[in-house]
Amino acid sequence: MFRSIGALAAAAALIATGAQGQARAPDETAFRDLYRELVETNTTLSSGSCTLATERMAARMKAAGFTDSELTLFTAPGLPLDGGLVAVLPGRDPKAKAILLLAHVDVVEAKREDWTRDPFTLVEENGYFYGRGTSDDKAQAAIWVDTLIRYRKEGYRPRRGIKVALTCGEEGGSVGAVRLNGAQWLADNRRELIDAEFGLNEGAGGELDDQGRPVVHNVLAAEKAHRQFFVETINAGGHSSRPVPDNAIYSLARALDRVSHYEFPVRMIDANRIYFTRMAEIVGGETGHAMTAIVANPQDKAADALLSRDPDYHAMLRTTCVATLLEAGHAVNALPQRAKATLSCRIIPGQTAEEVRQLLVTAINDPMVSVTQPPGAGSIAAPMPLPARVLGPIEQVSQQMWPGVPVVPFMLPGATDSRRMTQVGIPTYGVSGIFDGRDGGGVHGLNERIRVKSLMDGREFSYRLIKLYADQK
Amino acid sequence: MLKLTGVLAATAVLLATSASAQAMRPDQEAFRGLYEELVETNTTGSVGSCTEAAHKMGARLKAAGFTDDQLTYYVAPEWPKSGGLVAVYPGRDPKAKAILLLAHIDVVEAKREDWTRDPFTLVEENGYFYGRGSSDDKAQASIWVDSLIRYKTEGFKPKRAIKMALTCGEEGSAFNTHNGARWLTENRRKLIDAAFALNEGGGGSLDANGKRVANGVEAGEKTSQSFILEVTNPGGHSSRPVPDNAIYHLADALARIRSYEFPVQISDVTRGFLTRMSKITGGEAGAAMTALAADPTDKQADALLSQDPSIHNILRTTCVATQLSGGHAQNALPQRANATINCRIFPGESASAVRATLIKVIADPAVSVSQPTERPAVPGPPLTREVMGPIETLTEQMWPGVPVVPMLLAAGTDGTALIAAGIPTYGVSGLFLDPDLGRMHGLNERIKVTSLYEGRDFLYRLVKIYADQK
Repeated sequence: MFRSIGALAAAAALIATGAQGQARAPDETAFRDLYRELVETNTTLSSGSCTLATERMAARMKAAGFTDSELTLFTAPGLPLDGGLVAVLPGRDPKAKAILLLAHVDVVEAKREDWTRDPFTLVEENGYFYGRGTSDDKAQAAIWVDTLIRYRKEGYRPRRGIKVALTCGEEGGSVGAVRLNGAQWLADNRRELIDAEFGLNEGAGGELDDQGRPVVHNVLAAEKAHRQFFVETINAGGHSSRPVPDNAIYSLARALDRVSHYEFPVRMIDANRIYFTRMAEIVGGETGHAMTAIVANPQDKAADALLSRDPDYHAMLRTTCVATLLEAGHAVNALPQRAKATLSCRIIPGQTAEEVRQLLVTAINDPMVSVTQPPGAGSIAAPMPLPARVLGPIEQVSQQMWPGVPVVPFMLPGATDSRRMTQVGIPTYGVSGIFDGRDGGGVHGLNERIRVKSLMDGREFSYRLIKLYADQK
Repeated sequence: MLKLTGVLAATAVLLATSASAQAMRPDQEAFRGLYEELVETNTTGSVGSCTEAAHKMGARLKAAGFTDDQLTYYVAPEWPKSGGLVAVYPGRDPKAKAILLLAHIDVVEAKREDWTRDPFTLVEENGYFYGRGSSDDKAQASIWVDSLIRYKTEGFKPKRAIKMALTCGEEGSAFNTHNGARWLTENRRKLIDAAFALNEGGGGSLDANGKRVANGVEAGEKTSQSFILEVTNPGGHSSRPVPDNAIYHLADALARIRSYEFPVQISDVTRGFLTRMSKITGGEAGAAMTALAADPTDKQADALLSQDPSIHNILRTTCVATQLSGGHAQNALPQRANATINCRIFPGESASAVRATLIKVIADPAVSVSQPTERPAVPGPPLTREVMGPIETLTEQMWPGVPVVPMLLAAGTDGTALIAAGIPTYGVSGLFLDPDLGRMHGLNERIKVTSLYEGRDFLYRLVKIYADQK
């Protein structure tokens, strides 16, 4: 409703509307209804169904005019509850490559008795929506579906196709239970259906200060790859009454001590370069200087030391490996025959798992200690480019809606489903325009929530952004 | 149980009488039948029954003339297969304190498919008896029963009473954790009361050529005590490592324990061991033994001797990490990490003192040190002439020139339970074992036939000497 108005005015009006919760437009009412239905459809691994949730979204799209051929519901054999949906709004230029909007519809478990409110009833209270998935990731899933419905209803014909993929299994399975990862399944089995120049996904948003003012608008431009390594020592063992100097546990302890003191070298990837350049201005001071310095010279040890006091900056600058599991020995009174630690490594784009393994071997520097990768680890994605075609429209819409708030690309030290798309040639970025305080909104935890105004602003942001992309040449 | 004789075998060469086979005496044939019955009665924790074995031995004693009131079968109600037997051979002097002969009749598990021969069939081959328990500890158990039968048959009337306890659960398998010796000290203390006890844990050692090196007498054991080191941490996501990490704290603590050496302690027993072994060993090592016996703070002597793990561990308390566990998910920073430290505590030192030392060595308040079970400090038994004299006399008679060497056992036997209950217990057997220690606990356990028969003669005579002591 504010689309044809000037940028600043539009933003001001939008904010006013969201904050007051009055004069609700019909399309917002429709969105709230859709969002409620999605949140209230339980999609946990234990008792929910992604298939049901995506069928409900497909029904809404069909009601809005989407044809059966534009809607592809899929399930994998043997996993009937882990289904998903791919919806396509066709473009008018058959030569223009599509864009892909990815969101997962599964949610982390939530126990009623632990929550203040029923996690599967959408509750609006004090300016927040409460419920499992209100933020992660049913906000974005609902926005994608809603946006396509709005485009279809208004008769919008984009230059390039817009595809929405709603998938299951992003939150992973659990011990003894397997869940289909729908994004991976599509990449492996329906690559043509989701083909796109690039994709948008979860993983980023804006940050509010304590007064609720937007501070920075983040774009996820890179992710680390997660790899496990086993550090293992074996020994002849013996009776514990007769200790000998050569002991599997002590060898492992020494190796872990070396790992704990080892720092992987700083790698300045595109996302980091832009992130630290822009953050330098926002942060200022000594830290700001260090950011500028490390972008100019990634070998700047003093800058690295200063920045790496912050675990978040530390993790963004390099690959990290940390010991997460430990096991050794077979009896209280026997010298250990085997000692093993699991290292959880987060590998920065552009570095291979084998390079990381070699660096660990060098750091441990003990031929009796083996460093191996468990079988079945896939390839690691190359670093993604962050071209102006992708970043430009984000900055444009962001400046319209939140004037003066800087757009800052960053690398997520963790991982989302984006990497699965990037690996098959669809570079996928995290962008939502949903602003949040520093508490993270209880994602994965108790009483997950999202600010109603942030959700509505994010919806508007995506609606505008996707149009810009969709009309690109 | 572990015996400490390997170190003796490894260090010395001595002349000894040849171990050539001789024709079997009638009393040896009778013994062989008893020994065979005991070895062939399966007493593993998984499928065997100590109760059955104890009853078979009791039946033999009864047949030899023991009365029912001299035979006490005992069994803890919750452990019907872990029963045992206490036999009392009365003495003629009611004021003289008894002596106790202790042996365990349970054995370590043995799988038929892993062994060359059936582990529960006694096989005699190339001068060896093969079978599970042929050495540990049914050799000594059979000898005790057999000796009592011989005394009874001869009409021997000792000055002091001779008591024998056959017990279960020494090997402490997963299926059978009921320890009969400890149970007797707690429930039948009067029945087993004695001036001192003889048990497994000692024995003679043969070198690789079958020559006798020394006759070891176990006079004291280290106490096994485990401690748990634990570190807790708020944890977090593994994509955001922080310097404060439970596993790294634990690794640091382990590194400190690894490089810490408990101070040398010398007891009467280890002084005797070092003094006697210094003569057998000679050379630089022998000189170091003499030096350390005189001055426990002699670092140089300690360093030289402690290169041998079997000497290192009888000079001090040792602590070693045996188990580790930590973390709860491969992608989460660990909220908890712990290590089991198994300590073998020098006789007389308390577990709480060792714990205090560990805490001091670790020097990290983030690492807690706890004891899952508290065992009392157990001093070593005194090395008295009353006990050592007859062993030395008899050893010189039977194996002239073979020295008697008192030893501290770095591992543990049921002797510790008895000592804790006030009955000084010594490991002595006169059974000479090969350097492989009879493959105790392992595959194809065996004992030399001549060693068994000679050990039987030795113990038969030794117990007689003790029994007539004033």
